[in-house]
Amino acid sequence: MQPAATPRLSRTIVIALGWLGLIFLLAPLAVVFPVSLTPERYLSMPTDSISFQHYAKLISDTRWSSSILTSLWIAVLTTIAATTIGTLCAIGLWRLSGRLTQYLRILLLAPLIVPPIVHALAFYRTWTDFNWLDTISGVVIAHTVLCIPLVLITVSTSLSGFDRRVEQAARSLGASTFTVLRRIVVPNIAPGILAGAAFSFVTSWDEVVTVIFLTSRKVMTMPIVIWNSLSERVDPAVAAISAVMILLTLIAVFLRLSKDRKPQGH
Amino acid sequence: MTSAAADYLVVDHLIKQYGETRAIDDMSLSIPRGEFLTLLGPSGSGKTTLLMAIAGFVTPTSGRILLQGQDITNLPPEKRDLGVVFQGYALFPHMTVEENVAFPLEVRKVPRDEIRRLVAKGLETVQLTALAKRKPAQLSGGQQQRVALARSLVFSPPLILLDEPLSALDRNLRTQLQEELKQLHRKLGVSVVNVTHDQDEALSMSTLIAVINHGRIVQLGTPYEIYERPRTQFVATFVGRSNIINAAVLGRDQGGTVRLEAGGHQFTSTTSTGAAIGATVPVSLRPERLILTTGTAQPDGLAGTVAEMTYHGNTTQYVVDTAAGQLRVEDRSQQLSAPVQPGTAVTLTWPADAPCIVLADD
Repeated sequence: MQPAATPRLSRTIVIALGWLGLIFLLAPLAVVFPVSLTPERYLSMPTDSISFQHYAKLISDTRWSSSILTSLWIAVLTTIAATTIGTLCAIGLWRLSGRLTQYLRILLLAPLIVPPIVHALAFYRTWTDFNWLDTISGVVIAHTVLCIPLVLITVSTSLSGFDRRVEQAARSLGASTFTVLRRIVVPNIAPGILAGAAFSFVTSWDEVVTVIFLTSRKVMTMPIVIWNSLSERVDPAVAAISAVMILLTLIAVFLRLSKDRKPQGH
Repeated sequence: MTSAAADYLVVDHLIKQYGETRAIDDMSLSIPRGEFLTLLGPSGSGKTTLLMAIAGFVTPTSGRILLQGQDITNLPPEKRDLGVVFQGYALFPHMTVEENVAFPLEVRKVPRDEIRRLVAKGLETVQLTALAKRKPAQLSGGQQQRVALARSLVFSPPLILLDEPLSALDRNLRTQLQEELKQLHRKLGVSVVNVTHDQDEALSMSTLIAVINHGRIVQLGTPYEIYERPRTQFVATFVGRSNIINAAVLGRDQGGTVRLEAGGHQFTSTTSTGAAIGATVPVSLRPERLILTTGTAQPDGLAGTVAEMTYHGNTTQYVVDTAAGQLRVEDRSQQLSAPVQPGTAVTLTWPADAPCIVLADD
């Protein structure tokens, strides 16, 4: 074999495997879009005609529209709570940074390590005592607990690159602790806070295990409705909502990318 | 106010204990207003800990710090009103130069017009007016240093603290900024406490130097006093590498001069010592004060042999083996027609005021 051929061959193989992996991941999307356009009332590929009735249903059918709003509401509240608490927590641990805070950090990350079904059960047991079952606030509190570690990780990462002396400088220049936090620390760790908020929103938005345990009739989140629709009668509206979510994600990603690219134009 | 001008900044029996070790081991000093005090010492000597204690970031285990007669030991850093320039400058990366300098004024609720005026004046002082809209990342090290300085000066603090302000810069820039700092100090008349491990910087910039070692202030004095009359062996060798020879005290003359003997050579020192006659004392001899002569042996000098010679252009460094030990000689005058080669027999002499009796280190 020629020496030059080997790297080219292995490169081709790597690229081919990369594409195979991508196709494997994206294949479901190729199914979701056509299925969402079926004129039938059950999950099927459209044959002679297409219809947007399932998209319309997402708005007209209150079961869908109210669950979407409920999920949005829960996700927004969770994001605000988890981001605030997680950020303050990360800053506190960063400031103190001793051996004790290391243990505390591991403890705080526990919700990520424990399997979802286990903490769902724990929430269920505790929430029964508190009378928080089947309430929006009950779900928000549970989701906040799940999301705090995500924020803690992203904000801590940002803080590890932040010079402690910058904070000290601000204090020596006469800024109170709160002013330092607001004007110096937070602006410098904003990327970590935003990333944590994004993770929290997405996590809460499609979280299903805990919600199944904590709600019954009054609180219906979107993932629960999807779940019920699939187990009851395989509603093509599930494909429609999936398609909408995929599109929204793509739009968000493109917006983000185009924003990143702009500064290079200077 | 009872505190005299001489007690502008007072450090009173300060101790900082970390577990078993004392970073600051009973330090006391008192400096007048308008001085440029440099805390000079090797790394780990406690000089930065002292500076951070004055700034308020290190809580002393015991002792007091007074500024203008007011006890500031327990005040948080933001209440001390001190201008601190941190190592690495610690500029706010998300703010422009202008915003950085305006920050201390904004948190003090200074009216907006006044802020604009003071910031403009501050940037002019450090010659950065043209770069006002830039972010710190777009500035060179020297420029960042000037921003940090302007930011710490803009609110007219009673005391400026500098934590190794020039250590991150290359040598040429360092010399230039040393000059600028000195000028600024003269012009504004502010009191400064500076920390460095660079003895050249300490000698050239300061009006006062506190040499610190093992958490203690070994000597406090003017650069001239520190260099010419070191109190201990450590000061003599840390500030400008001196020769230390052990000499026996032979006696005292009426004028107060001490007669000494080392390596069979008798000489005198104008510095005093409490040592008894017959005792051995360390004596510091600066390499550049030693005069090296070849040829006929001088009866008045210390005989020796050149062991090493290094030619530096403006100076020639020798290491000379003598009966009193190995001595470093620096020939700055270049009076010798050519560098003396190793192996040559030489005689060392020195002016009467050169030998300085020092205290042995613990």
